[in-house]
Parts: sequence; C-alpha cells; structure tokens
Amino acid sequence: MTNKKDTLKRLGIYLLIVAASSVMLFAFFKWMASSETAFFLLAELFCAAPALANLITRKVTKEGFRDMKLHLHLTGNLRYYLLAFALPLVCTFMMYIPPILLSGHSEWLNGITPASVLTVILMLAAQGAVMSVGLVGEELGWRGYMNQKMEPLAGIVGTVLIGGAVWSLWHLPSDMQVYLAGKQTLSEALQTVGGRLLIMPGYAAFYLWLTKRTDSVWPAVLSHAIGNGSQTAVIELLGQGSIPESADLGVIADVFHYVPMIVMAAVFIIMLLHDKAGTPRTA
Amino acid sequence: MTGLVYKEWKQNRWYILSMILCGFAPVLAVLLFRNEIPHHLNELRTGGMIAGFLAAGALQIMVLRGDDRRLWGYWITASPDGYKGFLRVKYEMIYGMILLFLLSMQTADGLYCAAAADLGMTDTADISGIAVPLIFVQILLRSVDIPFTYRFGSKTGSIIKMICMVAIAILLSVTLIFLMDDWDSAAALAKKLFTGYSSSLLLAGLFAAIPAVYCLSYRMTCRLYLKGVEQYDK
Repeated sequence: MTNKKDTLKRLGIYLLIVAASSVMLFAFFKWMASSETAFFLLAELFCAAPALANLITRKVTKEGFRDMKLHLHLTGNLRYYLLAFALPLVCTFMMYIPPILLSGHSEWLNGITPASVLTVILMLAAQGAVMSVGLVGEELGWRGYMNQKMEPLAGIVGTVLIGGAVWSLWHLPSDMQVYLAGKQTLSEALQTVGGRLLIMPGYAAFYLWLTKRTDSVWPAVLSHAIGNGSQTAVIELLGQGSIPESADLGVIADVFHYVPMIVMAAVFIIMLLHDKAGTPRTA
Repeated sequence: MTGLVYKEWKQNRWYILSMILCGFAPVLAVLLFRNEIPHHLNELRTGGMIAGFLAAGALQIMVLRGDDRRLWGYWITASPDGYKGFLRVKYEMIYGMILLFLLSMQTADGLYCAAAADLGMTDTADISGIAVPLIFVQILLRSVDIPFTYRFGSKTGSIIKMICMVAIAILLSVTLIFLMDDWDSAAALAKKLFTGYSSSLLLAGLFAAIPAVYCLSYRMTCRLYLKGVEQYDK
C-alpha cells in the first residue's frame, strides 16, 4: 500500500509535467506564430503531454507500469462503449437544437433531413472507430493516471471538480491563442476559459465513471473523440439549414450551452458516489 | 489475457513497430525521389502512401504466421483464456497495428505539410482524404484474411482466399455483362445512389459497417478455429 504522501508526490510530479507542457506553448508562442513546423511539432507534443507525463512519472517514481487501464475490456462492457458514443452526441445536439426550437425559429432547421442526421451519426461512428486513437495522448494521462492519484486524496467530488479544472486550465494555450495573436480582447478570451471551466467537469465526471465501470481508458478515449467530432458535425449539419448569419438567440443559447453539462456532472457524481457506497469495504 | 499480450508483443514487436515506418512512406518517397520527379511531389506522396499501405498490409498478415500448428491450437484451447482469448488478442493487435499505421502516416504527413508551408510550397494538400478511406479498406481486407488463415492455415488459406476472390471477380464481371443490355437503367440507379446526400449516407453507412464486419469476422473465426486446428500440420 502506498501512503497519501507518496500519492501526493506522484500527483505533484505528474501535474508539474503537464503544467510545463502548457507553459511551453506560451513560451514558444512567437516561434509557433512564425513557423508552421514549430507549431505542428509543439502542438503534437502538447497533445501527447498527459500520456507522456503518466509514463515519465511512473518511471521517475519507480511506480511501474501496472494498472495503465489499456485493456479494452469489451466483454460485458459494450453498453458503456455505446453510451460513450451516444452521450456526447446527445449533449452536443442539446446545446444547439433546443434553443433554436424554443426561441420559435424551427424554420431555420428546414434544410436538415433525417437522412442528413443519420449520415452525421454514421460518419461519427466510423470516425470514432479509427480516429479516436489520437486522444490516447490525453486520456492516458487524465483518466489513466491523474484520477487514480487524485481520488484517494480529494474524493470523488474533488476529483471531478479539481480534475475538471486542471484539465480545463491545461487547454489555456489554445483558449488564449486568438487573444495572443491580437484578434480577440482579453475579456473574450477569459469568457472562453470560463466557459470551458463550466463544461469540463461534466465530461470529467462522465469519463471518470466510464473508466471506473470498465477499468479501461478506451471508452473515455472514444467519448472524447466523439465529443470533439460532434461539435464540428453538428455545426456542419446546422449549416444545411437556413440560419441567418446575424442569428443571436441570446441568453437561451448560453443556458443550453452550459446546463446539459452541469446536469451531466451532477448525475455522474451521484452515480459515482452511489457506486462507491455500494462497494464493500476491505480491512 | 496480459500473458497473451506479452507473447504477441515478444513475437511480433518488430512487425508492430514497422507500422510507424510504413506511415512515413509518403515522406520517404518524397525525400528519395524528389530530384527525379521534382514537379509532381503530391503524386509522389500518394504513390508512397499506397506503397506504405501495401507494405503495412503484408506485415499485418505476417503476424498470423507461426500459429497454424496443431499442438499450439490444442494448448491454447486448454489454457484459461482459451482460443477465444487468443483470437481476441490477435484481432485487437492487428486493429491496433492499423491504427498505429494511420496515426504515424497522419503525423508524418502533417509534419511534411507544415514544413512545405514554411518553404512556401502552397500547393501541398493533406493526404488524409485518401488515407482514411484506405484504412477502412485495410480493416475490411484483414477481416477477410484472418478467418481464412485460421480455418485453413497460412498457405492453404491464402490459396483458397485467392480462388474465392477470383470467383467473385468473375461473378461480378458476368453480372456486369448481363447488365450491359439494360445499361441505362443501371446507370440511372447508380446515379441516384451516388448523388447528393444519398451518396454521403451510403459512404457513411459503409464506413460505419466495416468495424462491425471486423467484429463479425472475429466471431466467425472463433467458430471456425477448432475445425481449422484439425487440419493444421503437427
């Protein structure tokens, strides 16, 4: 058994490496702005940083490479994989479609047919089967290491909230990129950062729940890829409708942008706590 | 299961790692032949990609060799994971190899495109548009190869597969010849299928079905494996 001090040390090393990857992008911002090659190389390194931090921390602390949660564990867990595919898609739909319907602009969706919706779903399924592997770089770190170390220290609620915040802040270089390029005001950039801080705990709770249920990072990898892909897919789908360029739904759009994610965070925290309460205690 | 993963890694690590090299084939093609064909670098990359795709396919099949022995078949069937566990690890490993090949190709090509942009080459296009469909073709081909290999052994399996492919090709040709008489209606049907949204839907459906076919192939191989073991050499 490792004590809390060891766990804290391991988590500290991991977070330090991950933070360094974010700082690296700020430090080399000018170089990245002037060279596509530098941008590509540093962006790739940044995307793989959580997984690399996992491997480096395990090596440095001589923890070993057990419990990386790399087995697929498909048998008996197919429903979790299906949920990992469906839920981010539903959440993305919930962000965009209900505000349009509730604000009485259903005619904006006229160009969207059942066939086009089905095409998007099938294309995402196909993409998820082959393209999601790129997200291992993130999930192997966040779900495969950080959560495991954070849970004994901060509990489930703490892991979801602190972990979600750390995960959000790690995205700071990409959220601030437009501002640093001088094409956005600081308040707009901070709004993006704040928005992400509200959204990420929802996904953090869901991915933590998936990882614990299946003892594998792969459902989280798939779900992450679908979450990213569905944003583009739904926006492309809406592009087939007749939404005016100056369309602004106001507060209702903001409410639907954040509320599904906050509800998701609450639901999965309750489920995680329920699962924990049901686990028999060992001496 | 971890033991089987370890066995596959020890036996096939060079084949697995060679997927990374295959992914670099488009960039290698440009580096090696850029002086001979300096004005057709995009075509060279596409050629390199196809060469890499073929090499990767051959290497993926090679990880199946050596397991078509009767004693191994009996032994693995009696092990705690059973032949189903063994086949599952094989299928997962080959799928992983395909994904590693894609990841490596996209990384190498992304690096090439970035470097080309820095050099002011504005006509460099991303090859992912061709690479991703080819990956689906590769998954489909493997889902055909593996059951044949385990049912009939490596050598006999590849011969029987070849015969089946030729038979299908002949059947398709004959069907096309018969359709010649009614070519207009067939062309109209094809036009209807491959225009606008129906073509996207068809394509999306096909792509989404291929990973499912791969899973079905695993199920089929599980059913055929023990029959195959009886035919393997000692």
